[in-house]
Amino acid sequence: MPQGPPQRDKDTRFGALAAIGLAGFFLVLLGLLRLQVLEHEQLKRLADQNRIRLDVLRAPRGVIRDRHGRVLADNQPSFDIVFRPAPIESTLRVRSVVASDWLAKVGGALDGDTVDIKRRVREANRTGQTAVLRRTAPYAVLAAVEESRHELPGIDVQVAPIRRYPEGTLAAQLLGYAAEINDRELAERTRKGYQLGDLIGKTGVERRYEDVLRGEDGAEFVVVNAMGQRVATLDDVPPQPPRPGLDVTLTLDLDVQLALEDAMANIERGAAVVLDPRDGSVLGMVSKPVFDPNEFSRGISFARWKELNSGGAYPLLNRAIQSAYPPGSTFKIVTMLAGLKQGLVTPETHFPVSCTGGYFYGGRRFGCWKKEGHGSLDLVQALQHSCDVYFYQLGLRLGLDPLEQTARGMGLGEKTGIDLPSESRGLVPTDAYYDQRFHRGRWPKGLLLNLGIGQGELLTTPLQLATMTALASNGGRPVRPHVVSGVQGVTTFRVEPPVEPGVATSKDHWEAIHLAMRRVVEAGTAGAVRLPGLPVAGKTGTAQNPHGDDHALFVCYAPADAPTLAMAVVAENSGHGGSVSAPISARVLKRLFLKDSTRTAPRLPAPADTVGD
Amino acid sequence: MRDRFPPLDWPLLIATVALIGIGLATVYSATYLPGAHQGLWAKQLLWFGVAVVFAWLVAAIHYRFYDSVSWPLYAGSLLLLVAVFVVGVERMGAKRWLEFGPLQFQPSEIAKIATTFVLARFLDHPRMDLRKLRWWLPPLLITAVPFVLVAKEPDLGTASSFPAMLIAMYFWAGMPLGQLLLGLSPIFNVALFFLTGSVWWFVGLFAALLAYARPRLVVLVAMIALNGAVAVALPNLWNHLHDYQKRRIETFLNPEQDPSGAGYQVIQSKIAIGSGGVVGKGYLKGSQKALAFLPMRHTDFIYSVVGEEWGLLGSLTVVLLYGIVVFRGFRLAAIARDGFASLTAVGITTALFFHIMVNMLMTIGWAPVTGVPLPFLSYGGTALIVNCIQIGLLQNVALRRREY
Repeated sequence: MPQGPPQRDKDTRFGALAAIGLAGFFLVLLGLLRLQVLEHEQLKRLADQNRIRLDVLRAPRGVIRDRHGRVLADNQPSFDIVFRPAPIESTLRVRSVVASDWLAKVGGALDGDTVDIKRRVREANRTGQTAVLRRTAPYAVLAAVEESRHELPGIDVQVAPIRRYPEGTLAAQLLGYAAEINDRELAERTRKGYQLGDLIGKTGVERRYEDVLRGEDGAEFVVVNAMGQRVATLDDVPPQPPRPGLDVTLTLDLDVQLALEDAMANIERGAAVVLDPRDGSVLGMVSKPVFDPNEFSRGISFARWKELNSGGAYPLLNRAIQSAYPPGSTFKIVTMLAGLKQGLVTPETHFPVSCTGGYFYGGRRFGCWKKEGHGSLDLVQALQHSCDVYFYQLGLRLGLDPLEQTARGMGLGEKTGIDLPSESRGLVPTDAYYDQRFHRGRWPKGLLLNLGIGQGELLTTPLQLATMTALASNGGRPVRPHVVSGVQGVTTFRVEPPVEPGVATSKDHWEAIHLAMRRVVEAGTAGAVRLPGLPVAGKTGTAQNPHGDDHALFVCYAPADAPTLAMAVVAENSGHGGSVSAPISARVLKRLFLKDSTRTAPRLPAPADTVGD
Repeated sequence: MRDRFPPLDWPLLIATVALIGIGLATVYSATYLPGAHQGLWAKQLLWFGVAVVFAWLVAAIHYRFYDSVSWPLYAGSLLLLVAVFVVGVERMGAKRWLEFGPLQFQPSEIAKIATTFVLARFLDHPRMDLRKLRWWLPPLLITAVPFVLVAKEPDLGTASSFPAMLIAMYFWAGMPLGQLLLGLSPIFNVALFFLTGSVWWFVGLFAALLAYARPRLVVLVAMIALNGAVAVALPNLWNHLHDYQKRRIETFLNPEQDPSGAGYQVIQSKIAIGSGGVVGKGYLKGSQKALAFLPMRHTDFIYSVVGEEWGLLGSLTVVLLYGIVVFRGFRLAAIARDGFASLTAVGITTALFFHIMVNMLMTIGWAPVTGVPLPFLSYGGTALIVNCIQIGLLQNVALRRREY
């Protein structure tokens, strides 16, 4: 071999190359042993998780109906765009990096906020649960996502039930709304089986009856490919179907609610409650301004959320149970009842000081709303004309304790226990309250004068006023206000017993109250409610508001001889009870009892002489 | 006996055919799922038929012919590589293909073989002395041109087989080991820097190397200067890599960093191989490849399907077959009739061995994802034809080993 290296050297070099080859294949052998023998168990488990995914089958929430079975809240399918984390990622516990081009593509296809999407995807990767990136996606977005599915690993379209409120803003605060669970709620309720992207009742009936309305999500194991698309369901484990939530029947009467809403149409802010005085069931409840709970079902933007929660209007607030107003002269019913019960006065009692438009006490003049004075009145006349001077004297004679106890007996100063969340308890001052505010036992007696006419520290919710009116109408028998009358399939459902003890006193006293409240309507401050063919008993009130115009209040029950309805109306910053709130009640009563179908709200001009506090 | 059977290298031939058979079966399994291109195995079989014709032709023509046309062949292949930049077909950010009607092929494969011929021709010289600059520099330049062109496509995986070939052929042509290692020191420099993040490992190795090789003063100074320059230039070079190349290197060094991106393929591949265990899940029963978790399961990652369905037994069988191919290749180099044949056999075997290693180590997570197919197994017409031509050339050497 003349050319090339000599044969001996060649053999050595062949040996070297063969050794390198052997070393390389030995390296592969080591790698194979590691994967297929040492780590086999672990990798096999990963392989199984890789292809099997647990899909949640979301349970529809229970339907909410009014007392006649008319639907107030049900469900509709929503096409949601979701992100399903690859099981492998959560298994390896990788702090998943969200690639920026992926994010940009998803953001583009979804027409959504990439910061928000990033946050949701992170959370999904952390928990291994599916995240809803866009609820009720419009057709254009769905089409865009379908088109670029292969470029968007993890993105999927899922059909899930969402809440539908067919009547829109009707009784919105009472029904509440259901929306996606937030991080705090999720942390509290993970053990109850809540997951990322679940709907949860946030306010109203939706929140209070969350546990029955919710139902139970089902699940199925599906075999998926690398793009997260389902290929088949797993044969070995049959799917577990979802159990829908239980239907709930409300005491609410859609007719009453509609009448109430129409009558309140011109009121910017305020609330009205209609109860059945016989059992405390809520027939109607309005809080103004209103909101549309459907907005939350569709997924609300942060900007819109902020808009709803700022600016002072607070449409999400249920003013009927969460806002407390001074009761004003409607409280005179309580003062009168306390006086009768204590035996301080009879319906015919005249006080020594007659009304001259004001009353002097402790060197201070306490004015009557009627500056020219009422003259000398007996108790019934005093309520009929809402004479402040008479009730100043009655309050003074009563003292704090009897007044406070009667007020509590009538359902004021304490939560009524209605089955709705976040009820306010209002305020009825006690000795202890004043002792704390002033020095012990040294608070001025002048406070009693104000309490006697329903001013001062007193605060009541519209619901409490309606409850008070219900008790006035039924002879002091306590009722428990409630909005739900039954839950589907639950035979043990009972309305809780009343919170307050009621007021036990002679039948004559109730007759006097009844007479006086009838007179208020027939020949007193609430002439607007004088309806031919329907006897109504009521009481007007005007609550002084240090922050602006007075609140107009009116409470009434009807028919006066056999009451089936008790109502309280509060219109914020709109003037006198007799001229604003009483006409609202009149419209409701006409429509319900006199079959007047006037749906628009004409402003009834009240006779000038009868308009008053 | 000698008359009835030509003096082919039978173990090499049998191992090759067995590997191609396994490849066909695995391509069938890897695409055995609804919606996939189920006919691919048949297409691959057709390619195999074409490849056999090519291999037969290549083996039939005496290698002296290749020796004589090596320079024009080399020049032509460089032209094709340049043509790729002008009229090449771009796929996934890389221009690697030339198109002739329905046919597509990678000129880098032709360049690989042509470069082998030229190197073999140059190094096969009676006055050959690789210690001298005028003998060792030309092969470096001959290799550098196609290397740079292919790397620019970019196809780092195929490109790096050029230096691998060159190193083996230098060694085979008699370059002293010390000189060879010293020449490779810049590569060790880069590799150690990336693996350890510190320059001191290399400094230690370099010192030991100098003590072993004992170069002349001028070489000593030159190598120190070169390695110093590499250390300085490294960050700049890093910045010139494509983003996907950087990501692949980073992913290789730390695969779990990005499981949804480039690391995804490696993790899925490891899961597929590992879940196969010792005996595998059975033919057509691999769940990972069936559900498409395994990316490029019939091309670059076909070895993962073998591992999943046939387990350790199957994977080792494939390793053994490749071992036979590589061993016979080097053996043919040792017993070849003359220098050109011997050097060609070394170059071709090294290129094959390099591709096998890069692909297999990639599937088990020990090499970066470079997009290099597995010879004989991966689906793909050009690759199969080229691999068969390589075998044909080795058989060419075998057929004429007893000529005088």
